[in-house]
Amino acid sequence: MNHIKPNVICITGGKGGTGKTLCAVNLAVMFKNEGNKVLLIDGDVENPNTYLLLNGKLENKKEVPFFKPKIIEKKCSKCGLCSQNCLSNALLHVKDTFPIPMLTLCSGCQLCYKICPENAIEADSKTMGWIYSTTVNGLSLLLGELKPSEARSAAIVEALLEKLKTIIEKEPSKFDIIILDTAPGAHCDVELLIADADIVIPITEPTKFGKLDLIRIMELIKLLGKETRVIVNRSSLLGFREQFLNELEHENIEILGDIPLDSDIVESYCQGTPIMEKNSGFNREGAGYIGFTQIYENLKKWLKTIKQ
Amino acid sequence: MSIIAVPSMGNGGLNDQISPRFGRCASFTFVEVENNDIKAVKTVPNPAANAMGGAGVQAAQIIGNNGANIVIVGFLGPNAANGLNALNLELVQAPNETMTIKDVINLYLEGKLQKITNSNVASHYGMGGGRGMGGGRGMGGGRGMGR
Repeated sequence: MNHIKPNVICITGGKGGTGKTLCAVNLAVMFKNEGNKVLLIDGDVENPNTYLLLNGKLENKKEVPFFKPKIIEKKCSKCGLCSQNCLSNALLHVKDTFPIPMLTLCSGCQLCYKICPENAIEADSKTMGWIYSTTVNGLSLLLGELKPSEARSAAIVEALLEKLKTIIEKEPSKFDIIILDTAPGAHCDVELLIADADIVIPITEPTKFGKLDLIRIMELIKLLGKETRVIVNRSSLLGFREQFLNELEHENIEILGDIPLDSDIVESYCQGTPIMEKNSGFNREGAGYIGFTQIYENLKKWLKTIKQ
Repeated sequence: MSIIAVPSMGNGGLNDQISPRFGRCASFTFVEVENNDIKAVKTVPNPAANAMGGAGVQAAQIIGNNGANIVIVGFLGPNAANGLNALNLELVQAPNETMTIKDVINLYLEGKLQKITNSNVASHYGMGGGRGMGGGRGMGGGRGMGR
């Protein structure tokens, strides 16, 4: 594939446990099998686990720093301007005393640091989480991890996307395909990743929960103006396949393909060997293998319609 | 001489009722006490009553700016507790029932209230399902102090 800019595909899904990471990993592997240079980004920063499905390791740990105000008491005139202007109410100030930063409330906006007339606030930093980069079987992997007890996961996702932006600007031909794997839900972490993608593929399953969460994520994708098609995982579950596909059609939801229940998938999942890996040894006539192959072919056709 | 701050349900004052909520109470009543006698009473409205976040910190500032050294609280969230602790104030637990501020002050002066050091509820407790604020828990279920 000769693109000026790599294709960015976002795998998401609203509901947890539908197979987002399974699909992201196997799609990445299928692109790689055909000689593409593939980067897989795990944006589920509260549970970064993509590397497990590839039998890889977390490597090249880099800290993601986050602003924290440091009050320099020697310079501080106790005027309270920082506290009065803090939208998060993260600076406690009582007259004639030094302001006290309340770090759990701080949004990291740096306003206090910028407006202090005495330059008495220094830009200190704390660790919000980490970014890892590694290569497994020719597949490049970038993962973000939020530090336990910290709350600002979007800062980690932003750090991942900043790295992606640098790659696309400085080395546009380094990768042909970039796959973004999101957290469950329809919150700001997920939104950031969808917003940076060319196309979005939500993964769902034929249950009421799957459908409800799918409709929520579809609303978000629509708001962001992205092209989208759905993968139905575990499509043979309880024999609801036809009914579920009809229901999605009724909601005007386009379907990229479906993956029936298949013990090979379960086995590959537990082993950490993607079923679609070239020499994985799994049955190529199996329902899961055929499902993934069909999805991959449909995806390639779709990509041709949206690029150049 | 000490100044006791009490979160208040209405406009504040000795005959107003104590508010179970700290950061988002309507006003604060400051009671100046000397030798177990009430010397003066002052009320201050709470501008943080409807703050999106950090109400506890703002409320702690009001307490500090009005010179209080003792605070009687019902429910106390973590940010408010951190703020009050940072100001080295004495925190006292109010009884879990509806009562006037005068009665609460008298119970305190009789030594019948206990000191606390930490928060006793989660952030945004008693706010109901606040939109997009996370962690909000309604009071409901007869656990509240006010009626």
